[in-house]
Amino acid sequence: MEDTIYDLMEQAQDLPGGAAKLAILEEAARLADASGLKELAYEVRGEIVDCAIFNGYPLKALIAFSWQLGQFDQNPEEYEPDELLWNYKWILGKVCSFPNIPKTQVEDLVEDMRKRYAEYGYNERPYYYYKFRIAMDMGKLEEARQHLDTFRSIERDSMSDCEACEQSQIVRFYYLTGEDEQALAVAKPILSGRMKCAEVPHVTLSQVLLPLYRQGEVDKAKENHRKGYRLIRDDRDFLKTIAEHIEYLAIVDPVQGIEVVERHLHMALDYESGLEQMYFYAAMVGLLQKLDTSGENRLIRLPASLEWGKEERTLTEIIAYFRPLAESAAADFDRRNGNTFYTDWVGKIVQTA
Amino acid sequence: MSQTDQYRFQVNLGGMIDILANHLYSSPRVFIREVLQNATDAITARKELRKVAAESKVLKEDKAHEDTASESNDYEGKVTVELSGSGEQRVLMIQDNGIGLTEEDIHRFLSIIGQSSKKGTDLLTSETSFIGRFGIGLLSCFMVSDEIVVLTRSVKEGVSMEWRGKPDGTYTIRRLETELPVGTQIYLRCKPGSEFYYEPAQVEDSLFYYGALLPYPVMLSVDGETKRVNLPSTSWMQDPEQLRSRRAEVLDLGYRLMGERFGDFIPLRTASGRTGGIAFILPRSINLNSKRLHRVYLKHMLVSDKAENVLPEWAFFIKSLIWTDELQPTASREYFYENEQLDGVRSELGTCIRQELLRMAEYEPDRLQHWIRLHELSMKALAVEDDEFLRIMHRWFSFESTFGRRELSELIREAGGRPLHYTSTVDEYRQITHVAAAQSMLVINGGYIYDTEILEKLHWIDPALQTERLSPEDVSMSFTGLTQEEREQYYSVLRVMDAALQPMRCRTELKRFEPASLPVLYTISQDALTLRSMENTVEETTALFSNVLDSLKAGVQQNAGYSTLYFNLNNPVVARIFEATDTQMITAATEMMYVNALMMGHYPMNRNELGLMNRSVLHFINWGLGNGQNT
Repeated sequence: MEDTIYDLMEQAQDLPGGAAKLAILEEAARLADASGLKELAYEVRGEIVDCAIFNGYPLKALIAFSWQLGQFDQNPEEYEPDELLWNYKWILGKVCSFPNIPKTQVEDLVEDMRKRYAEYGYNERPYYYYKFRIAMDMGKLEEARQHLDTFRSIERDSMSDCEACEQSQIVRFYYLTGEDEQALAVAKPILSGRMKCAEVPHVTLSQVLLPLYRQGEVDKAKENHRKGYRLIRDDRDFLKTIAEHIEYLAIVDPVQGIEVVERHLHMALDYESGLEQMYFYAAMVGLLQKLDTSGENRLIRLPASLEWGKEERTLTEIIAYFRPLAESAAADFDRRNGNTFYTDWVGKIVQTA
Repeated sequence: MSQTDQYRFQVNLGGMIDILANHLYSSPRVFIREVLQNATDAITARKELRKVAAESKVLKEDKAHEDTASESNDYEGKVTVELSGSGEQRVLMIQDNGIGLTEEDIHRFLSIIGQSSKKGTDLLTSETSFIGRFGIGLLSCFMVSDEIVVLTRSVKEGVSMEWRGKPDGTYTIRRLETELPVGTQIYLRCKPGSEFYYEPAQVEDSLFYYGALLPYPVMLSVDGETKRVNLPSTSWMQDPEQLRSRRAEVLDLGYRLMGERFGDFIPLRTASGRTGGIAFILPRSINLNSKRLHRVYLKHMLVSDKAENVLPEWAFFIKSLIWTDELQPTASREYFYENEQLDGVRSELGTCIRQELLRMAEYEPDRLQHWIRLHELSMKALAVEDDEFLRIMHRWFSFESTFGRRELSELIREAGGRPLHYTSTVDEYRQITHVAAAQSMLVINGGYIYDTEILEKLHWIDPALQTERLSPEDVSMSFTGLTQEEREQYYSVLRVMDAALQPMRCRTELKRFEPASLPVLYTISQDALTLRSMENTVEETTALFSNVLDSLKAGVQQNAGYSTLYFNLNNPVVARIFEATDTQMITAATEMMYVNALMMGHYPMNRNELGLMNRSVLHFINWGLGNGQNT
């Protein structure tokens, strides 16, 4: 059985990240579980976490990570702690995207991470940095501002996110608060290429588009859209970033945006977490509303996996189908977060009928 | 006049050379590239000057340009490299008949070397003027030589100059009495430890490596024997279409330059003609994760043999030789700057490849099929991006199906006008493949990379091509249902069974299906499977994460539904179970069938299910022993 599992892992290694690779890894994990091979199962799950996080399957990542953490606590001397601690941050980056996880549990998770980091001698920069990110995820921008100041005053150590990632989150902060000048200033070292990593500038380019556009830098915005969209278009991990490009296109060139919507809608349809899905649906509806909805026929092609789309649907029908999905998701998040951030946001993007 | 003056330029040259050697250049052998680059730049500059002169006849009157104008019209550039001496006494001389340097030029390039030191490692690409580049190129020679001697006569001035530079930054300049030919000669004396780079075979290799495509002779002369090193003719670079009739030659060139024996190629050219190339089709399947390294010549000189981003991502079945005069390499020379120009070039080159494949589809389908078989993933990747390509190619793509691995055209024929059924994951496919095949039901496995995307787009390219995503339960569409009579007869047994499996969120169904040897079929939706793995993980993880997973379960549960255990009435054992009347017996048999199905499907069991198995095994042992006593 071990040989079969190693074979599967090898097969997975040859594949680019995505559903096909995850399917093979999950089969390997099932076989390892069924044969009671704990250590191998742990190793396979490490691969699953990695692949799932960076390819847009946050739920699969969370499940595999939970399993690993449980094993680790039972047998801490068997496994490598640093990798697990490092991956903990990825999980924290995703938990707010699930409306069913209550606020208290999110808070418990961050505290758990803090405790574990301290136990292994790492400082609190990642703790406050994630408080900062989570506050943004929950639409609590004033709280985020405080954490921003706190985390920046702590020295970085080897558990800190890379400089580029941290910087990109600060850009995001000013993007959310609408402080365009600040956002652009902070984005500078990223746009110049000085700061970069596996996800930066990918996630930043989409967040300078509207600030640039609003400052009258139309050509620069266009250039960054082109650059940024190219970087992310094949990876569903960036669904929210794709939604930001759609939001921009809705203002600048809605017709060009149709293709982008068509290309990615299938990703949104079966996306595992609600927040990214909500972003996409809202941006999509906002864009479709900019088009001429008077015609009878639909202007966008729907993927075959959408049963509802099998019949001919008019643009108006498509809007009417997706708008409530975005709105109810926003309401779910607001209920969890205890504010009206996402409802307000959707309200800004989508015209109410 | 032959006075010698000592100067010193304000730069820490030792430091500069260290930067160049350790950070910018991958190997000292790049000094050959740099001197060759200097020579070709000089030749280009001289050509430019002639062009300008020819265009404005007025200049004929101009005394300063007399030399230029009176040059014969058939000026051809030429680079000669000469090796003399041996071992540590080796001297390499490179001579060009380019524009040459004036005294002022020499002072300028030296001052630019000084300035360049401030620009850090980007200086090679940021410095675009001929003179500036010349100086920087010279610096690289200090990696292999402790003295550089430059003899030069400018086409403009006609004064013969000598410059001698040392790595400590000191240099001398003097005017020579003798009259040099127009152009530049550079002399390098082998520095101890650098003998390898002066070996004739090495020098020849490097000259070919960097300068194979130069459009004028590059000669190497060793011990009085002179031969041409670069390709004798490169006129096809203007019009790569010509290459179609010179197959053997092109494939041979592919082998010499890329080190691989190719069997086929596609000529590339952008509309402007500023970028062209040869796309060699790799004769072997390659891993999707492998890097796509192309060999790129910028203005006839090799700039990179590891350029990754000149062709579209989907073209991973291609290894290409590209020449261009319009793209800008990054300092590392492994990429080109991602700008609109590159976007345009990349998409035009991609179009050449795509057009060729489409042309093959029409005129040489066998050739195309051969390549599709080898590089199907690459072609599928393109088809996902490109509807037109998908429209032409889809019929040749192969898919795994319950009818075997078949080309789509065959599968469409088999479906006979009905929608093509596919599962979107390998997992779902695996659950039903055996049974679906036995019912002669055509199901395609869409779980492999790109396959679902392609299947989902088929109706975009041809509305008659309907596809339908199948969930594992849907396989029961092909099963035979019960008669009304049977339904009534087995109703009470089914209720007992449902009650037994309800705690596992599994329901039972009774059907007739093939193969009769299979007692049950277990199907589970993706969401239910996710839920299963969450439940199993709850048992293994920390208290906190258990809570989190429990919260998440609520969201998944709504959609997950029940898994289904189909009992096959064609199976003799199942038929006997349904004849049974003992509720306990039916329950235990149902539980055993359930856990058996899980084990066969490699689904890890949770505690609940393990307990179930334990209990029913004990039941059966008990009954077995009891029966033994009774007979």
